[in-house]
Amino acid sequence: MTDTGVLERLVSQVGWQIRRRRAQFYGLRGLFYGALVALVPLFLKDAVGPSAPLVAVALVLAGALAGALVGMWLPLARQDVARIVDRAFGLQDRVATALEWAGRPDRSPLVELLVADVTARVEGLEGRRPVSRLHPRELKLLPLPLLLLVVLALAPAVPLPTGTLPALSSAEDSEAPEDREARALSSEQPQAGKRELLERAQTMERNLGARQGGTGGTQAGDLSALFKDTALATQRPDFSSFLKKGDERLRMLEQVDRLPDLRRDFTQSPYKVILQKKKELFGGLRPDQVSPQKLRELLEEMERMGRKGGNWGGETGEGLEGLEQGQTDRALEAMEKALSKMRAMEERGRGGRGLPGGREADRRSGRGRDGGAGDSDIDADFGEGSLPGKGRSQNPKGDATERLRAMPYDAGVEGEARAGRKEGFDTNLLGKGASVPSRLHYMGVFGQYRKMMEEALAREQVPRDYQAQVKEYFDSLEER
Amino acid sequence: MGNPDRVREFVEAFGRLKAEVQNVIVGYDEVISNVLITLFAGGHVLLEGVPGLGKTLLIKTLAAGLELSFSRIQFTPDLMPADIIGTSIILEDGEGRKHFQFQKGPIFAHILLADEVNRATPKTQSALLEGMQEGNVTVSGAPHPLPSPFFVLATQNPIEMEGTYPLPEAQLDRFLFKLRVTYPAVDELNEIIDRTTRPGEREARRVMSGPEVVRFRELVREVPIATHVRDLASLIVMATHPDWEHAPEMTRRFVRYGASPRGAQALVLGGKVRALADGRYNVSVEDLRAVARAALRHRIILNFEGEAEGVDVETLIGHVLDQAEAHSRRGKEVFLR
Repeated sequence: MTDTGVLERLVSQVGWQIRRRRAQFYGLRGLFYGALVALVPLFLKDAVGPSAPLVAVALVLAGALAGALVGMWLPLARQDVARIVDRAFGLQDRVATALEWAGRPDRSPLVELLVADVTARVEGLEGRRPVSRLHPRELKLLPLPLLLLVVLALAPAVPLPTGTLPALSSAEDSEAPEDREARALSSEQPQAGKRELLERAQTMERNLGARQGGTGGTQAGDLSALFKDTALATQRPDFSSFLKKGDERLRMLEQVDRLPDLRRDFTQSPYKVILQKKKELFGGLRPDQVSPQKLRELLEEMERMGRKGGNWGGETGEGLEGLEQGQTDRALEAMEKALSKMRAMEERGRGGRGLPGGREADRRSGRGRDGGAGDSDIDADFGEGSLPGKGRSQNPKGDATERLRAMPYDAGVEGEARAGRKEGFDTNLLGKGASVPSRLHYMGVFGQYRKMMEEALAREQVPRDYQAQVKEYFDSLEER
Repeated sequence: MGNPDRVREFVEAFGRLKAEVQNVIVGYDEVISNVLITLFAGGHVLLEGVPGLGKTLLIKTLAAGLELSFSRIQFTPDLMPADIIGTSIILEDGEGRKHFQFQKGPIFAHILLADEVNRATPKTQSALLEGMQEGNVTVSGAPHPLPSPFFVLATQNPIEMEGTYPLPEAQLDRFLFKLRVTYPAVDELNEIIDRTTRPGEREARRVMSGPEVVRFRELVREVPIATHVRDLASLIVMATHPDWEHAPEMTRRFVRYGASPRGAQALVLGGKVRALADGRYNVSVEDLRAVARAALRHRIILNFEGEAEGVDVETLIGHVLDQAEAHSRRGKEVFLR
């Protein structure tokens, strides 16, 4: 076993210094909190009695002592102390390594050299203390509670509330009726001027006179007549009837089927709300400029909506995961997919079971778009432009023409105009073109293609100059 | 020979060899030190720099300072694996019987200079890199061990990339260090002009033999390392991984793949040689910091965003070191003056 006595002693000394510094640090902190607690018995000097100052002093001392004890007994690993010694004396981890390896059975002959070397260095060290004195933040505030303690100790006892409420009723009964009226007026119009107050009083008096046909025993300025004229004037507060009315309202709320379904309302449809928020989020920004935080909020909202019967939970989850990994493109793509699903569900819901005027209802009733779509058509405010392939029927207008059959590579688009503020169409692709996956949104697929490009560049042997060209090409696409 | 003598001998030999190289090469103190560290750590080194900076001269000078066999291969696109490792040829003995005999290629040397390694095809590169990793080559099913010590010094040019085959990450990982050879300073350039345009050439003297190198390599591995220093090496490597929970923001944003366990080995072995060359018997945190850039710069693969933003791997490694040290010292930094 290599002799590491000198190193052990050094580490032990420094460990003791650390404990003392910690005791001072936590002692000061305990003193502060003890002083705060000690304010309580001085506030309650009446209740505590003449021993309150003594109790306060005991609390202060107990806080300081508890803090010091805690600081003294906090765990302190020998290796950590050795590291502190190394850093403090610039020993380049010699002490920590020597102490660790000296006792190991697999130590190499170099360990003995290390111990001898570091022992010689430690013996040549000056007797400076490597552990500095640190003060807690609370030390700056410590004079405040201490000063308060002295003040409270010297000052007379703080009067405590008796615990009974003031007799408000007797005071009010003894109040003059004129005062009460004037106070009512002043509370009604606290900012009104004196002149306005007088004019108002006169007007009320005049009106009251007219209502009573000019007779009656009221005098000018007797505003109490105004209240005597109402049915409330004769009633006393009836809490049981108030509770009864409340119960009736609660029963109404429980009858869900009688409440208006705001979600059925088109303007409050989840899809519309999300679409609007998406527009606000993008607001002319490029996808890479979109705030990830706002995008996350939007996705979370979509996810919440999805939990109430939507089937876009997977997409929103993927989007949130993409954001976690910093892949904004992936998140945008997932959001687009979820939005498409929301729209599909919206349209299914509106098809016949939702609000009156759905297209399915139109078809069932034999009513065309031109015939009375008018105000009942829910798409009236929904012209978002042409999004191909949204038609539900694969072939709503019969079979494709002969020309399309003859030309297998040809493709056709058919559809119908959609009413709305903007020009829009519901379209179906026909022919071979209908099967190609080119109907995705540009921004929806751009991130995907870009990712594929990055993977291809990483995986395949592409000369670096060409890599740069490919990246520049994608950068230019993104700028558009 | 006792241990103190062995260490002293290593320190002297390291200094002598470095002095011999510096007798010919002007400047590049850190590059020369790192090449020697790689030699004694038992790894291989990749030097990257534009033409004319003295990479090849540095390697030839080092080879001249060692009593070891040296061969140089100029990598070209038409170089074949057999041109490196050798081939079996048919020989006829005195009785007219024919048999195959293996003719060793230039890889069978103690010190191998693979000049412009990125100009050969991946097939040829892999023939060399397999030999570097395994320490032997297999021809016609028969293994042929490479001489010991076997030290490969490869060079590559970061410009003129057309028609080149950059080394794949898996093969870059087999180099212990990647060193960047930069332009010399003005005074160094003046010294180069003076040395190379006057009559007479400086040459390095042989100051170390092959068995000595092998012995020193064994000695290096005996250097103890404290647990917290070893843990720091692991933390440094982990901090290069974007999916590590405590990875710095720069790593998360710009790194696709972090360093492999070979990176941690390179850090520790490099640290051990550096400590011993410094006359110390233990690895310190400073040693890890000193070798971290050379050990990690070729093991960190930037993602597309990192490349597009022109992120400097050296800067990233600086962040990684700071983060790893902060994580290592978490909660243990109290009451230190």
